[in-house]
Amino acid sequence: MSILADIGTIFSALLSQDPWEIKTAFNTQGMWVFSLVLTLIGGLFVFQIYKAVPFLERHLERGVAVFMYLAMAWIIFSGVVDRFVFSSQVPWSTTIPPFLFMIMAWFGCSYNIKLRTHLSFNEFRMKMSRERQLIALTTDAVLWFGFCWIVVSTTLRITANSADNFAIVAGTDSIMQWWFIITIPVAFLLMSGRVVGNLVEDWANYRSGDVLVQTAVIGGDV
Amino acid sequence: MTDGTWIALISLGVTFLFMTGVPVLLVIFYWVVGSSFVTGLPLLNAGSELLNVFKNGFALLAMPLFILTGDLINQSGIARRLSDFAYSCLGWLRGGLAMAAIGACGLFAAISGSNSATTATIGSMLHPEMVKGGYDERFSAATAAAGGTVGIIIPPSIIFIVYGFLLSLPISDLFIAGIIPGALMVLAMMLASFIVCTINGWGILIRLSFMRVMKTAIGAWLGFFAIGLVLWGIYTGKFSPTEAAGVTVGFCIVVGMASYPLNKIMGSDNDTPIADKSLVSMFVVEGFTALDIPRIVSRSAQITGILAPLIAVSVVMQQQLSDLGAKEVIGDFVTGMGGYYAVLFTSMAIVFFSGMILESLPVTIILAPILAPIAASVGIDPVHFAVIFLVGASIGFITPPYGLNLYVASGVTGVPYFRLLPYTVPYLAALIFVWVLVALVPDLALILLPDR
Repeated sequence: MSILADIGTIFSALLSQDPWEIKTAFNTQGMWVFSLVLTLIGGLFVFQIYKAVPFLERHLERGVAVFMYLAMAWIIFSGVVDRFVFSSQVPWSTTIPPFLFMIMAWFGCSYNIKLRTHLSFNEFRMKMSRERQLIALTTDAVLWFGFCWIVVSTTLRITANSADNFAIVAGTDSIMQWWFIITIPVAFLLMSGRVVGNLVEDWANYRSGDVLVQTAVIGGDV
Repeated sequence: MTDGTWIALISLGVTFLFMTGVPVLLVIFYWVVGSSFVTGLPLLNAGSELLNVFKNGFALLAMPLFILTGDLINQSGIARRLSDFAYSCLGWLRGGLAMAAIGACGLFAAISGSNSATTATIGSMLHPEMVKGGYDERFSAATAAAGGTVGIIIPPSIIFIVYGFLLSLPISDLFIAGIIPGALMVLAMMLASFIVCTINGWGILIRLSFMRVMKTAIGAWLGFFAIGLVLWGIYTGKFSPTEAAGVTVGFCIVVGMASYPLNKIMGSDNDTPIADKSLVSMFVVEGFTALDIPRIVSRSAQITGILAPLIAVSVVMQQQLSDLGAKEVIGDFVTGMGGYYAVLFTSMAIVFFSGMILESLPVTIILAPILAPIAASVGIDPVHFAVIFLVGASIGFITPPYGLNLYVASGVTGVPYFRLLPYTVPYLAALIFVWVLVALVPDLALILLPDR
């Protein structure tokens, strides 16, 4: 009963848009159930969106990652040029790039789930029977989903804490840290969508008799 | 059951997951989750560390930037010019192309900082030529895998950045300390390939021509300039390693985009043999257009999307291990071995065997904070120990069952993983020889440091 009450509190806090209320509501046990449902529904929603809009499926995560990569490189490069040429450097040139790196890393992580290029020892899996391969792939999906669930739950709390503390990015006057931090749970919701997509693909491959486990080539999809 | 028993069971469970092909990222994450339940640490800690690793890690930014540098020099044609230069210098020797591949790995590593990028770039470029030149394809793939190990020792190096970040050591000192050991690794592997190729009679010899060497050296001038830029910036303290990486990325983008139209105007094409190219056309590389940049960056983002999350979860695992008292247990074991040399060689053995079963980044993140203070306590210089540790970690890239470079080489050459394994043995022996040498002679790492 108290879990349900916690979830009710979370919804009412979200509707109030008050950072303190949201933070308090997120720090209850009901947050685990709320984030489980959010990750599951979010994953299914992302999967459906990707199915309906193939352009997003192909370009969303890597588009964000590429943009962040270039922005980060540009800020650091221009920071050095500023220092050498104009003897000055904008104070946020060393504080914003780490956040951009963080966004790039987690969106890139999500895209690697689609490509199945995360480092793994596949030698035994390749030699397994099809049934065992399917079990292994389903286990992967469950483990990825659990990963997404835990990170969505914990980083939403961190986002709420940061918003409640009015934490500002060092070297800036008004850029809030939570604007960046919230991209982590978003990236993990996209990951959860990838997990659903992979699972659907694996079961379809199993039924159609297609190859289940293939050697992935890093950079092969680019 | 005691906490220790639980941790042992969790470790066994995740090892099973690893052996069944579950991604290393998940294996480490679930170890963290399991041990959090045992120790009573809230999972919120793990979540916040996945953020803090990045938020507090300006030094870590050099990693994605050096990965991008590798892709940019590959796409601009600079990497090809460096390998042409290496071949023109070494092609007259038996096994010259294999030695050139290792030399090219060394040159590529001096601009990029990634082992897998080095293996993938040089492997995909020179493997077909080695096979055409009469080398065994398994040996050729093993050469690319082994050559890639210097990618993280010759500066700039991703793993030195991570090590320096974790242990608060000056990354520029680590970079400089890696120069001689990295060069020795290259030389030792070249010697190994010379011996293997001489015994098997592999390779077609080309005449050593001064003109050809000069021409290819001119052709590789942009590569040499980039190497000089990185080393000069870091050595003189003009840039931090992260800034050096940013500057190199900027340099490669400018050079790549400026070269493309020039190359078109000169009418040179990529298939013309070096001997037939004019001296003027050698000045300009193939380059790329602005439209190619997203594709190039996308590849780098993919690699960063694999490595950066792995670093983040490994840092959390290291913290958990620290809370569990692993530092004291391993510390007691290592110091119990005796003095300077016992600690040195026990640490090396731990790194070597860990490198066989784990990726080198987690090995570094998990073990370095434990072993480095012990090494310092018996009088091993921290920078010297860093080099010893990381040369050992780099050897882990070609040790089975989990050798990342072996997978990358297998992926880019099409030679099955298990078939190329026996051909890595000569390279492994050469690298271990250099490793022991670097451990026994601290000056090999420390002599170039300005304040020593």
